[in-house]
Amino acid sequence: MRKNFLVSSIKDSLFTGLIALALFGPIVGLRTVAKNEVLVVSPKWFIVLVIVIVCALGRFLTNLYIYNRDQKYGIQSTVGKSITKFLDTKGTQIALSAIIFSVIFPFLPFTDRYLMDIAIMMLTYIMLGWGLNIVIGLAGLLDLGYVAFYAVGAYSYALFAIHFGWSFWICLPIAGIFAAMFGVLLGFPVLRLRGDYLAIVTLAFGEMIRILLLNWYQLTKGPDGLTGIPRPSFFGLPFKSFPEEGEQTFHTFFGLEYSPMQRIIFLYYLILVLALITNLFTIKIRRLPIGRAWEALREDEIACKSLGVNPRNTKLTAFAIGAMFGGFAGSFFATRQAFISPESFTFIESAIIVAIVVLGGMGSQTGVVLATVFLIGLIEVFRDFESYRMIAFGGAMVLIMIFRPRGILATRKPTITLHKKEVIK
Amino acid sequence: MTQKLLDVENLTMRFGGLLAIDDLSFSASKDQITSIIGPNGAGKTTVFNCLTGFYKATAGSMFLNKENERLNLKKFSDFKVAQKAGVARTFQNIRLFPQMSVLENLMVAQHNKLMDASGFTIFGLFNAPSFVKKEKEAIEISKYWLDIIGLTHRADDDAGDLPYGDQRKLEIVRAMCINPYLLCLDEPAAGLNAKESAELNKLLLFIKKEKKTGILLIEHDMSVVMEISDHVVVLNYGKKIFQGSAKETKNSPAVIEAYLGTEE
Repeated sequence: MRKNFLVSSIKDSLFTGLIALALFGPIVGLRTVAKNEVLVVSPKWFIVLVIVIVCALGRFLTNLYIYNRDQKYGIQSTVGKSITKFLDTKGTQIALSAIIFSVIFPFLPFTDRYLMDIAIMMLTYIMLGWGLNIVIGLAGLLDLGYVAFYAVGAYSYALFAIHFGWSFWICLPIAGIFAAMFGVLLGFPVLRLRGDYLAIVTLAFGEMIRILLLNWYQLTKGPDGLTGIPRPSFFGLPFKSFPEEGEQTFHTFFGLEYSPMQRIIFLYYLILVLALITNLFTIKIRRLPIGRAWEALREDEIACKSLGVNPRNTKLTAFAIGAMFGGFAGSFFATRQAFISPESFTFIESAIIVAIVVLGGMGSQTGVVLATVFLIGLIEVFRDFESYRMIAFGGAMVLIMIFRPRGILATRKPTITLHKKEVIK
Repeated sequence: MTQKLLDVENLTMRFGGLLAIDDLSFSASKDQITSIIGPNGAGKTTVFNCLTGFYKATAGSMFLNKENERLNLKKFSDFKVAQKAGVARTFQNIRLFPQMSVLENLMVAQHNKLMDASGFTIFGLFNAPSFVKKEKEAIEISKYWLDIIGLTHRADDDAGDLPYGDQRKLEIVRAMCINPYLLCLDEPAAGLNAKESAELNKLLLFIKKEKKTGILLIEHDMSVVMEISDHVVVLNYGKKIFQGSAKETKNSPAVIEAYLGTEE
């Protein structure tokens, strides 16, 4: 038995080596070089050999050690199991310490402008992930055009702030309402669609919004983008280095030295609060009838109908609420950048947000945070390697899917319990 | 004479050229179990799908007689049959919410009531006392039904992890949680062993006696049909070929012919 297994593993790895040779032989092995203005082929067989050996050996090792993997839980190893158990049982503690850490983060000694920028970016993605988690994780509607709501939020904030001069705190809810309206607008035609078809339509919707922004020049200034979006103020106190005569600013009011970091720190706390509101809202709404109906709809729509749950309203609220949080995040993005253009709302943004939700474990709030830190962190770490960034990004996704096929944090806790008094995360 | 709960009159369902149900009339009484039997493809599930709004009947009418109103089920489209008319159903292949807990399955069944209590989520977000009270009541109702089917100890487990027989029973009590006037069961005994189907009989008789809910039953398992039905309707090729008590049905030549064919 054992011997058979060994023989079949060796056969399998030799076959893998052959495939690697067929693939990498022409791609890597044959390189054309210009020699005396003529193209000559200069073979690089050594590299090909190395690649083939690595592939075959790697296949052999995976065969030997991690072949018996579980479809549901991925590769079972003691390390993986203990990490899983730790994450599943200590979820609340991890979340609490993460919140405390993020509150004191701006004042840690090693925190500089660069780290703050990354943290703000991560928090924006976390908020978007949490918003999309309502649509994908809870209601099970695969939305590939989420960035459209982000864009609607950003543009409605920018337009209201520029043309009417309204403050951030008035424009923020307006942007959210606008995005929610677009959510319903998208929701109506796709009510009957499911799975792949829904994904295609939402993807198209995302592109439509982007192209609309690109071409409606009178309103959106097209590819030039909107500039001069007002910065948020600290309850009416602007962040300015040189205040005008008699004007109160943040640093004069509090008697501080002016520093550009003050605004960054304010933005950081702003997005932190917005993200936490999103999180609290989602945790709460999951336990309400509407949240339970979302999850039931994800599980079985026909059974829902037989129990008198209105699938139309349930789906539309999921789209609308998810979109609303996307809109909030969008208006934060606009006020932080002070400049927006359709460039910022391409499909890749949607793809990253979907990846965050799926890799985090559908429906898991803590999972979204872990996936964001992992993916966005990775993109940042590899910033200097430019074209290798996306390879690292893709590689990370492949690894997560191998080891945790249902996402980093896949276990779902019931929204209501009869026996155990458990806090739902 | 008991009051008729359901009157199906001249129901016809046509899929293109196929006549699935042909001018079918029957009635079901309150606090009685009415079985619909017939060979495969006789149109039994189609009758259910028409009753519960999954199909729109081509012709005919279906009246549900409540205490003081007479509703034509044909006017209600899909989910409204359960929501407004109070007709619940189960499915031939069990349709639970497998990744949700047993208790959550029962809570989803009480969605409309809770949704109203939560003021379309707004009151619920702020834990309004009226909502909290309603939710507690809903949990009590769920607990009541779980006690009856003996699954209280598994209330917090995923419904998909239950044994097959328990899933069947859970699906039935989930349908009961919407507090229906009429409960339509599509082959509830399929795949159950002798002990489980005896338990099922007990549960159905309990629902009939205590809850005064009319039960409409599609079943192939004749031991279940003969033991608990008060009234049997036999379909073949979409037509009613017989109706009567269980005993009469067993001895009817027309029914025997439909199931076994005629002797030459």
